[in-house]
Amino acid sequence: MIGSPDVVAFTKEDDFGEIYPDPCVLPDEFSVPLFSHAANPWTKTTYAKFSKDFILISEFSEQVGPQPLLTIPDDSKVCGTFDLNYFSLRIMSVDYQASFVGHPPGSSYPKLNFVEDSKVVLGDSKEGAFAYVHHLTLYDLEARGFVRPFCMAYISADERKIMQQFQRLSFEFSKASECLKSGNRKAFANELLKKLKDLEYTRSVLHKETELQKINNGCYSTQAIEKANELANVEKSMYEHRDLLRQITSYPSRKRKDPECVVFEPEKPTDTRDVDLALTSISSDLEVRAAEEAERKPTYTPQLIKAKSAKCFDKRLKTLEELCESTFYHHTMDQLKFIEKSFRGDLCYIYTSQIDRALVRQQKMTSFLFEEEEDIWQDMGPMKQFDTACPPMASQPPSVSDVSAEPMSLDSYSSCVDTIQIKMEPDFTEGPPESSPSEFTQETSEEAADTETKGSFSSDHSIEPISPGNLHMQYQNTVVGTSAEDCTTIADSAFLDPCVADSSDALYESHSVERGTDGVVNTFPLLENDMAMNAAVVYQTGSIVQVDTACCMGQEGFISDEPSAKPPQDGCGDTVVKQEPLPLLQRDLALQGDYVLGEPALESPAAAALSLPELQPHTLSEEIARISVEDASDTTSYMSTSTSSDRAPSPFCHGNPVTLKQKKRAGQSALRFIRQYPFAQQAIFCLLSGRTLVVLGVDEGTVRKLVNALSIFVPNLGRYGETVQPWLSTPFQLTDLQRWKLIGLQRMASPMGSSILNSLSRYSRYLGILDTDNKTMRCPPYKGTVLGHMADHRTQIKRGSTYFLHVQSTLTQLAAKAFLFTFCHHLHLPLEAEDEECVVTRRTSFLHHLGFTDEESKMVLFLGELIKQHYIQGPSKGTSQSVLRFNYTTSYLYKI
Amino acid sequence: MSAGCPPQSPAVAKTEVAVDGPCPMLAATFAYWDNILGPRVRHIWAPKEQGPDASLLLCDGEVTFLANHTLNGEILRSAESGAVDVKFFVLAEKGVLIVSLIFDGELKGDKNTCALSIILPQAELGFYLPLHNVCVERLKHIIRKARICMQKGYNIISVLTSEIIPIMELLSSMKTHSVPEEVDIKDTVLNDDDIGDSCHEDFLKKAISSHLQTCGCSMVVGSNPEKVNKMVLTLCLFLTPTERKCSRLCQAQSSSCRYDSGLFVQGLLKDATGSFVLPYRQVLYAPYPTTHIDVDINTVKQMPPCHEHTYHQRRYQQAELSALWRAASEDLLGPDNLTLAHDSFTPDLNIFQDVMHKDTLVRSFIDEVFLLKPGLQLRTVYLSHFLLLLHRKALTLLRYIEDETQKGKKPFRSLRNLKTDLDLTVEGDLNIVMALAEKLRAGLHSFVFGKSFYTSVQERDLLTNF
Repeated sequence: MIGSPDVVAFTKEDDFGEIYPDPCVLPDEFSVPLFSHAANPWTKTTYAKFSKDFILISEFSEQVGPQPLLTIPDDSKVCGTFDLNYFSLRIMSVDYQASFVGHPPGSSYPKLNFVEDSKVVLGDSKEGAFAYVHHLTLYDLEARGFVRPFCMAYISADERKIMQQFQRLSFEFSKASECLKSGNRKAFANELLKKLKDLEYTRSVLHKETELQKINNGCYSTQAIEKANELANVEKSMYEHRDLLRQITSYPSRKRKDPECVVFEPEKPTDTRDVDLALTSISSDLEVRAAEEAERKPTYTPQLIKAKSAKCFDKRLKTLEELCESTFYHHTMDQLKFIEKSFRGDLCYIYTSQIDRALVRQQKMTSFLFEEEEDIWQDMGPMKQFDTACPPMASQPPSVSDVSAEPMSLDSYSSCVDTIQIKMEPDFTEGPPESSPSEFTQETSEEAADTETKGSFSSDHSIEPISPGNLHMQYQNTVVGTSAEDCTTIADSAFLDPCVADSSDALYESHSVERGTDGVVNTFPLLENDMAMNAAVVYQTGSIVQVDTACCMGQEGFISDEPSAKPPQDGCGDTVVKQEPLPLLQRDLALQGDYVLGEPALESPAAAALSLPELQPHTLSEEIARISVEDASDTTSYMSTSTSSDRAPSPFCHGNPVTLKQKKRAGQSALRFIRQYPFAQQAIFCLLSGRTLVVLGVDEGTVRKLVNALSIFVPNLGRYGETVQPWLSTPFQLTDLQRWKLIGLQRMASPMGSSILNSLSRYSRYLGILDTDNKTMRCPPYKGTVLGHMADHRTQIKRGSTYFLHVQSTLTQLAAKAFLFTFCHHLHLPLEAEDEECVVTRRTSFLHHLGFTDEESKMVLFLGELIKQHYIQGPSKGTSQSVLRFNYTTSYLYKI
Repeated sequence: MSAGCPPQSPAVAKTEVAVDGPCPMLAATFAYWDNILGPRVRHIWAPKEQGPDASLLLCDGEVTFLANHTLNGEILRSAESGAVDVKFFVLAEKGVLIVSLIFDGELKGDKNTCALSIILPQAELGFYLPLHNVCVERLKHIIRKARICMQKGYNIISVLTSEIIPIMELLSSMKTHSVPEEVDIKDTVLNDDDIGDSCHEDFLKKAISSHLQTCGCSMVVGSNPEKVNKMVLTLCLFLTPTERKCSRLCQAQSSSCRYDSGLFVQGLLKDATGSFVLPYRQVLYAPYPTTHIDVDINTVKQMPPCHEHTYHQRRYQQAELSALWRAASEDLLGPDNLTLAHDSFTPDLNIFQDVMHKDTLVRSFIDEVFLLKPGLQLRTVYLSHFLLLLHRKALTLLRYIEDETQKGKKPFRSLRNLKTDLDLTVEGDLNIVMALAEKLRAGLHSFVFGKSFYTSVQERDLLTNF
């Protein structure tokens, strides 16, 4: 039996069965491919012979034709086997500028034509190379027609990239070109001056020789006539060169044809004494440097010019560097390197980052939460100082003016804050905060810690300032608890007498109030209580919660005797601006003080009289205490707890702004963290809900790594990552909790170590504690889905940078909800005959309606609080929060 | 510019095109490299009615000079047969910008390098760049047809004219009716006090969701120009500024209100009888699928996703080119003439279908944005949050697939994991994010969904032909 495999053998093409194309079938070269699923979207072209984009500078040499001069980066690996000679020939084969240089008809002198640059995008589909080509002309006294055509080309395998980024490429290359041309004009003018001096000298020599010939041989001798002709030629040459000099000096006043040309230099008036300097039409910065360079140069000694110049092919053409003043040349190279760097990589990411930046710019109200500060200076490249078209923007704090259209009223705001606040205004300085100053000794630090434990908590409003010299402390409580009875307004702006404090490093503490289950408001000595409750370190408790490594969600357990968790509305529900406020800087100056806690306006007797705590003694919220201290005290406290080992204040480069790149790198550690630690969601929850997270461990490397991983979740990280302390080896104080939201803490077996643990246990109820040695986590529980999506240990995401993008998306979503919550005006304004409780209930139900659980609501509330604070205080206030908020909720111990 | 231009000898054939309104195009040219004479211009198209500044006019001599320039250097061309290379010139000295498509063609029995170019004033650079892809894609397809005509020895000028004139009209209409780069939210439905004030809630949600699922491409049809334009502007809020410049409002006064392939959003008015003729071919030739929104009857229909759209588009193009190849004479040539198409090809005219997949992203955004007070910047800021979220999700999705497939070296087989990991389990959400990702990485849909789709198509075809 004959089967199909047997038949197939006979279907093979051979000499007898030549296949003729069907004339009715469309040939492939005229058709379009039908199936594209096999195509790889990541492959630009299969033909490209170079590995990544590069810049090529080529010249149309009058001696050898088109030739490549240099590439950026200057690495032969980049270009691979790509034929630079061939490509130079292709891009330089046409004079797109079509300019005329030489002797125009009717003119006796050569004329310089200042041609505009041409820009061409072209490609070679067979080579898989596409290029943006910027044609320019430089001047050279030795060159034919005085011109040397050059081009700078950005070469990429991605055609779409070139066209999509055309305007940016054009703009950046125009800057490079203008810089190069400016330097060239200056060099050209210098060359002319030297030539004029030579001619002058030659003329004087010839003149003497002519006179000598006349005297020796008479006026009409052959030698005398020759000398006279030679002299005439020199004089003509002088006229021509003077005319060229005049032309090159007239460059600034010419009419530009290119409407999009980049203005590079402000022009300077001509100085008749020194033409060289007069020609220096450069920006002030370069001008100074060029002038300095000129001063350093030795005086030029004129030379005699021979009658006949060298033949065209005998002479050596100047290099690009010689054609241009070196300062300008190096600036041009810097600019080209900047271009190469800024357009490097996949178009997809370049384009997305542009969209990203444009959108983030519209979110000045919330961008401080999770976005790294934009570095526009870096964006602008090395030519930024010359770029008049792009004034620097990022150096100024972002304004919130576009969000606000109506002035915020004091009334609308004053009823929003419902807790005791001890305001702390840290010393806001430019740059990252200094840590561990040498003037504070360890003894001082320990003394401070000791003093802390001895603090008095008995007085109703006793607060011991840390620095009596400049501490001024306020209570501000401009609302309100959860019910009508215990919700009143307190605003005490009384300054404490510095003398109350007994020592410069004294402890400050606040009292707080607690409402019992019966609703009665009771005061209690907050920190004494803490000490009592936390004296036994939590880790030693027997009632730990065993967390399944597969899932740490939904664990129940109670290990401390703290009050049970309260719904979020009790704690921090009143954190909203009711009306659209104006930004601080744009508001009425008279009103500013009203909004900024601690400003003199609050000290007005009327305000104080209305809100004295004595008049409304029962208004303190029972669940949250906000402690504020003045800036100096904060600084003191901060300094006293640091040692030399803590010099790096953040996991990021000390002194440098946090960059997206660093965050992406941290993404890798974060991904590892969520896979290794089943209680990662709880840790992230702490950070997102404003609870300071302490990462405790013996090994510095492990702790720092974890801090680095977790830092991407810290809201309001700060330009320099100021809210993160990656490694602390001294006890910390309460004020530190205000500044740092993520702390890496050293565990050590020494007196200092016990002191650290003491401070840890002392404040443990306000903290989340991640113990890297025991692999435990002590913090309030989290229930919800938001963090489940963000920190699922079963995630299949492979790379840290991808995980960071995922985190970024989720945090963007969270920030958006916080914005919505904060500015949803009807949410916060009491309707007619409605009490505060109804408003709070409305807010709670609103957050539930958005799909948030109680825990997630806390995160939104905290972010909303930050937005409000940032909005009111303005971005210049730095990253420290003026309010330290404590939320008394049950903490659990999670173990792997 | 036109002063002192010497007449060309021999005179170049020229077609003057009457265009409604100001036409930013100075001229279009067809040139070729003559093996004896070098670059030569064969035909010039120029608008009859010029803009207010007559000094911008180019004389034929200058047009010829510029057209010749486009072919200079192409003697070195070594492209594959059938390839169309694009060149783009900004010649500040001449004050013009030129877009040239270089291709091989057979003229008078010889293989020649040809260039089809359009010339605009340099001042129109910002206007033109967003429309570059639209123009180039349309010209590329007409060049495919022109190459067949050249091969067959037919007159190619009429073929080229059939696309040059619409492009002139497109540029002219964009000059007067394009959507501004920045859309004020006050001109849109999102400024209503409450959801549903000027637009039914479900309809609005469905329209925006489908608009995003079809990569931001929509046509808005209706009888009332204000209503149509309000919806156009609303949809444009969800586009980038460049994409907005590639969108068009409806032209209330103009009779030549027609669909243009390749625009992102365009408003179209129904005729006096209340009907609108859907241009099947043009809609299919758009780079992305389109959403059809009728503001009169509040209906939203959408085309299938990108990979299916591309497949249908290619099939139609193939059929059209095949028909041209098989045409016995020039008389049978026509842009919509498919009578000569391959017998087995039957275009699926039912390309617009109901929106099948609901999403949570747009629905929650619309619900929430109306909670913010109108008339201020709050809604604009919230919108920017939403757009940022979408873009970041799209980028995350791209990176996820990139990691999984080692930049496309391996097939993608973990769609389920992707949905779970990136919280895109709702089909509508996935479609929206995939559509955005497609714009960032062309061909992503085909890469992810293509194989299964083509397999099913092939099976269906097999069963049909059985």
